[in-house]
Amino acid sequence: MFKKVKKGRLIKEVVIVVLCAAVIVLGSLGSSQALAQKRFEGVEITVFTQSPPFIAKPVQMFRPDWEKKTGGKVRLITGPWAELYPKMFTSFAMGAKKYDIILFPAAWLADFASNGFLAPLDTFIAADTRIDWLDILPVYRERISTYAGTIYAITMDGDNHIFYYRRDAIENPEYQAKFKAKYGYDLAPPKTWAQVRDVAEFFNGWDWDGDGRKEYGVVEAMRKGDQAYWTFFSRSAAFTSIPGQPQGLFFDPETMKPLINDPGHVKALENWIEIIEFGVPGVINMDSGEIRTVYAVGEAAMAVDWGDIGQMADTSPESTVKGKVGYSILPGTTKTWDYVKKSWVDFPEVNSAPYLAFGGWLGAIDAKSDHVEAAYDFLSYLGSPENSYICVTTPETGFNPYRKSHFEKLAGWYGFGFVHPEDYLGAIKATIAHPNVQADLRIPGAARYFEALDAQLSIALAGEKTAKEALDDAAKEWEVITEDLGRESQLKNYRASLGLPIK
Amino acid sequence: MKNIWGSFTGKKAGRTFILPAVIILLALTIFPFLFCIFLTFGKVSFLGGLQIHFTGLKNWMRLFGDERFYNALRITILITVIAVAIEYVLGLGLALLLNRGVKGSTFFRVLFLLPMMLTPIVVGYMGRMMFNPTRGPVNHVLPLLGLPAVAWLTEPKIVLYSVILTDIWQWTPFMILILFAGLQSIPPALLEAARVDGASRWELFREVVFPLLAPASIAAILLRIVEVLKIMDKIYILTGGGPGISSESMTLFGYSLGLRAFDLAYGATIAFSLFITVLVISIIFILMTRRFQEIGLE
Repeated sequence: MFKKVKKGRLIKEVVIVVLCAAVIVLGSLGSSQALAQKRFEGVEITVFTQSPPFIAKPVQMFRPDWEKKTGGKVRLITGPWAELYPKMFTSFAMGAKKYDIILFPAAWLADFASNGFLAPLDTFIAADTRIDWLDILPVYRERISTYAGTIYAITMDGDNHIFYYRRDAIENPEYQAKFKAKYGYDLAPPKTWAQVRDVAEFFNGWDWDGDGRKEYGVVEAMRKGDQAYWTFFSRSAAFTSIPGQPQGLFFDPETMKPLINDPGHVKALENWIEIIEFGVPGVINMDSGEIRTVYAVGEAAMAVDWGDIGQMADTSPESTVKGKVGYSILPGTTKTWDYVKKSWVDFPEVNSAPYLAFGGWLGAIDAKSDHVEAAYDFLSYLGSPENSYICVTTPETGFNPYRKSHFEKLAGWYGFGFVHPEDYLGAIKATIAHPNVQADLRIPGAARYFEALDAQLSIALAGEKTAKEALDDAAKEWEVITEDLGRESQLKNYRASLGLPIK
Repeated sequence: MKNIWGSFTGKKAGRTFILPAVIILLALTIFPFLFCIFLTFGKVSFLGGLQIHFTGLKNWMRLFGDERFYNALRITILITVIAVAIEYVLGLGLALLLNRGVKGSTFFRVLFLLPMMLTPIVVGYMGRMMFNPTRGPVNHVLPLLGLPAVAWLTEPKIVLYSVILTDIWQWTPFMILILFAGLQSIPPALLEAARVDGASRWELFREVVFPLLAPASIAAILLRIVEVLKIMDKIYILTGGGPGISSESMTLFGYSLGLRAFDLAYGATIAFSLFITVLVISIIFILMTRRFQEIGLE
């Protein structure tokens, strides 16, 4: 009995001690966690980006949670697209410290990083257990968010152009037979830009979906002053980019000589001009916003765009093409211009060169910010695998997938409204992971080069100059800009943007 | 005790009271204007703080060798001349009708003013929808009238007239407003005297009404010339300056180079060249109309 009592008391005492210890340990853990979570109490960070909803919406979505967890405050300042670059650049250059964080287009990274405006993030990322850096696809992790080997930004959005086609039209056996009789090969999703031309011609100007209205071959953003130059490079990349060569798209990385008037680009522009005839009427005055609407209401058989047409076609209530859209990487060519050998190279199979048009939105921190640590913590929170997944599967965030995990979990995409998310994500992933994928121009003055090209492209599309004349004039203007900005420094920046050793 | 306000009178007090206004004017108008002129002779760099490197006449030489500048100048002047002329003729006709006191003139007066109350951006979007080749009402109606559909915004030879049409639609009411006020201020006794002298309706208009309307006409036309020479927002929405550069006005050209390409010094040079253009055209117009006014009053 005594033994029993003693044993029972002992057990009781042990249990009490264990419980007390557990309470103390858990309590101390809890309080230290609370302390850690409130480590930015009284700190206010300022985020500057584009006016909502697109791009600013994720900040609005995750700001309250982060503030609650860390005690910090996030002040969001937004501006229209045209004001972003001047405001960001002047704030950095004048040392005004107006914004701790900027969410900005990837094309401006070199401008900002080469001038020392941005805080290097390598050490933060190495110590960060939340960001899961290796989950980000290599092209964004190693190229888009870095400059001269240093990480200056965190990818928030994975932008690239993909190709859209109407499954119901292309898979129709009657149309397949007619197409083969006319062109001598099978009607299928186009693999080359020459095939795009034929398919566009075939589906142009008649009611092929039986809705009582005429449909057209193709729709692409061609409007001056908007996204036309990105659409152009999406076409010309395959005509000018040999697999394994460092770059054939913008400049010769040895001399900084413009390659924009090379025969490859001229051929691509000629092909682009040719398809206007098979486009939705008024296509040369359409920007990306308009082509998305036009495609979603079923007016065209094919389109080139970022991931937005895919989203709009399947998730917009106005869409008449839900579940009818097919997706692929951008078409390629069977002949590509080699700028080194100055000759055409024949490809027995298709040479594809998908283009990371625009390159997506990045988050970066002002190197002079007083709150670099808090700013990084907010960026890491916003771009974490879980939160970024919510962003890419939520309407009007403007964010597209860029992490391995974004492509693996399909539930969110079905929830978003996609009918064939695996196909949509497959096309984007195939683009990003392609060995010959071409990044956008990322050097100081990129906006000046693009503006000069944009005007010449528009003149050629309007038929006021030939493709060769327009691109020769663009090349002349690019040379003037390079001289104005300094050839040596531009060459250094260009090589750095390509990951080549700096001369 | 001496009253300190006692001596604070006359010119001294006047100057003191004007001083804040002068300072604000200098800060907000004169300084940016002078800075803009200064920029046209330099190159801007923000690295290490704002730096302007003197480059002499480089920006001006570039401007005078730039085909886009001459194109933009030609387009701006064409839009101005055609739009303002048509707006004036239409505005005068409608003002004369309203002045005759036709039935429902009060209603029409309000109705005619509505387009003027819209922002140019809204008018631009409306124009873009109206002129849409496949879904726009304009091209829907033309075939019903036996006319072919028109590529309003995509044909280089036509696009300028689409811009002019939207401007006429929006700003003719301004002409109506000013000219109607001018007509209302003509003393009825003068018109009556002319009628007693046997003047026909045409003679009454040509010899009495039109000359007396000259001050209002000149003011309205001059204001519209200055405004149309600066046209940008409607074109930006309607065509973005395209196709090609066939609808690129001076302001849009300056905006593209100055703010989109961030070439601030060249953008300032374009802006200042537009200022000179506005100034020269306005002076020419004033000189021409001064002579016309004298002839009219004789």
